[in-house]
Amino acid sequence: MSPMAIAEEAKRKGLDVIALTDHNTALNTPAFMSACNKVGIFGIYGLEITSSEEAHVLALFKKPETAMEMGKIIYKSLLSIPNDPDKWGDQVYLDDDENILGEVDKYLTGGASIYSISELLEMTLERDGMFIPAHIDKPLFSIKSQLGFMPDDNFTAVGVTKLPPILDLKGKPYITNSDAHYLHNIGERSFTLDIEDLTFTHIKKSIKSGLITIN
Amino acid sequence: MKASDLETDLGYKPAYTNYPDNDITSGFTSDLLSDVMGNAREESVLITIQAHKNTVACCSLAGISAIIICSGRKIPEDMIDAAKEEDIALFTTKDNQFITSYKVYGLL
Repeated sequence: MSPMAIAEEAKRKGLDVIALTDHNTALNTPAFMSACNKVGIFGIYGLEITSSEEAHVLALFKKPETAMEMGKIIYKSLLSIPNDPDKWGDQVYLDDDENILGEVDKYLTGGASIYSISELLEMTLERDGMFIPAHIDKPLFSIKSQLGFMPDDNFTAVGVTKLPPILDLKGKPYITNSDAHYLHNIGERSFTLDIEDLTFTHIKKSIKSGLITIN
Repeated sequence: MKASDLETDLGYKPAYTNYPDNDITSGFTSDLLSDVMGNAREESVLITIQAHKNTVACCSLAGISAIIICSGRKIPEDMIDAAKEEDIALFTTKDNQFITSYKVYGLL
């Protein structure tokens, strides 16, 4: 699932906006930006972080550079084991022409960052990003499974997989998304956003305001 | 036992002074807060590495008297504030959860 393949598949499925959020790394976001620009789709650049509570949270940014900066801090903080490509697959990152630039050493989905949800929220917001706890209703790696309750923190929104939401969201807006790990899943559970203009700032504002229609 | 026994007998470091010297009648070791919420008994001491304010929120709901943060993990200020607010004693130690559980069990 290369950056170009993701961008092309998203375009083919009729999406206007797509975010790339690899687990605990943002090293593919520069190539993803290039792919989005070539294909003509609006890209958002982020990562899916495993918090110290072992909940998955999305940190989303306007620019790959910001995602990379956050990614560097997260990767350094990740308590994990070395990746075994035979068991868990290659963890490569690519350049704009889809050449392999390198491979990530730590097993990206096998550990957790030392930063808590609240700390990650703060780190994301101070970089003008969006912070969305992922699939909060899933039985693993979710707010529900790890905490059991919705914290009061000022999340941009939360991600749910089933409607109506099974947790009390305390008035927070919610989105649905594909959480695609394979190309054919891209575009599932998409949502429509009421926005003034197709910019990161307006997307963030509309999500935060809950101007969301689940498709 | 009392919360202060963790300081005097085991040398665990309180995260703030003048903590409430709560009664402790049981212990619970877990890093999964939904597990703590569902299964810990009231007046327990929680042994964990989850050093953040949501642990305090969970303990408050579960009626837990004290928290020990293991393996030398740093306690953020907002967690200390929450513990003060909820009258929960809060300690740190370099011991891991296994060693801490063994030591606390000996006091109960």
